[in-house]
Amino acid sequence: MDSKPGRLLIVDDEAAIRLALGEYFRRRGWTVDSAAEKEEAEALLACTEYAVVIADLRLTGIYGVEGLDVVRWSHHLRPETRVVLLTGNGTPEIEAEARRRGADAFLHKPLPLRQLEAVVASLVWAAS
Amino acid sequence: MSARTRSRGRQVSTLLDDILAPGRLSVVFQPIFEMGAVPPSLFALECLVRGPHGTNAERPDVLFDYVRRKEAECVVDRACIATALAEASRLPGKPRLSLNVHALTLDRDPGFRDFLLKQASRVGIDPRRLIIEIVEATPPRLGGPSFRRALAELREAGITIALDDVGLGQSNYKMILDVRPEIYKLDRYLVANAWSDSHRLVILDSLARMVRRLEARAVAEGVENRDELVAVEAAGIDLVQGFLLARPLARLGLLEAGYLSGAPATFPS
Repeated sequence: MDSKPGRLLIVDDEAAIRLALGEYFRRRGWTVDSAAEKEEAEALLACTEYAVVIADLRLTGIYGVEGLDVVRWSHHLRPETRVVLLTGNGTPEIEAEARRRGADAFLHKPLPLRQLEAVVASLVWAAS
Repeated sequence: MSARTRSRGRQVSTLLDDILAPGRLSVVFQPIFEMGAVPPSLFALECLVRGPHGTNAERPDVLFDYVRRKEAECVVDRACIATALAEASRLPGKPRLSLNVHALTLDRDPGFRDFLLKQASRVGIDPRRLIIEIVEATPPRLGGPSFRRALAELREAGITIALDDVGLGQSNYKMILDVRPEIYKLDRYLVANAWSDSHRLVILDSLARMVRRLEARAVAEGVENRDELVAVEAAGIDLVQGFLLARPLARLGLLEAGYLSGAPATFPS
């Protein structure tokens, strides 16, 4: 990756996804924190400066959109943090709302980790 | 209260479940010293609770930010009190113990005083050794009858009331008037580099005078170097806490450092 890895936050209620994404980015030099809940993610964002946040849209069930709150909170606290929102079944309306709240990328799952890494790298490179 | 949430048909254990699970919280103690005495003497130990090892809540800033977002201040304050008193009861001597409690808990938990006294009694701690250090991070709607009653009940039991983070956030003049504490803990923001900042020196001096006129005591928090110590002593503040004097230590570390048997040899002159 062209950009220098920094601190990254992964927000997903699925432990397996947190583990897999965390391990993937750690091996590429990122310092990774992870959170399972909106409130946990927001507390970490309030207390830590992240270069990148990767958040799932749904954190409490199939109808939740808590990821949008994480996006808004991150953007409110630190607009320079790049935010990637992941979703398994997002609509164009939700994508528009996510971008309005400050999401830099809106990606549909499943997607290859290398593709996610490339998006993160391009966002960090563009911001530097 | 159940902190469990159902997610995609599975029961998911939240961080709050982990925080409240038996044995998952831990405590470290940071001494507050009385500098007026020669040599400086231990005034109290602040009990600082840490969240479950290996979780984000191990960081105290994250722990309490999370707890406030979950609106779980009351239940977590009780868990922290129980943990701190149990660990403190294993210390030799009878040092004063300062326990952090959210103002919201005093306002909303009518059984808090009884819970505190029961926990203290259970581990053999005289409540007159206790200082309740009131913290508040959210805009309070306090000062009402339940809050005043809670403070009066604690004082009736011989417990000292302190106000944390004075000068910062919600620990403002309204809070001072609502709480009328016996101890004012002046936030590190006022102390940091005070020696080279005339505005900070004036504010510290003014607050110290105000506290003396109110017949209370002031603690300078977060004293990290000798210049800051000189600045707070010049302002007439004789209760001091900070890394310069002692870092937070677990029970065994505290014993090894000798803080419970007078000022250690490494104490700054």
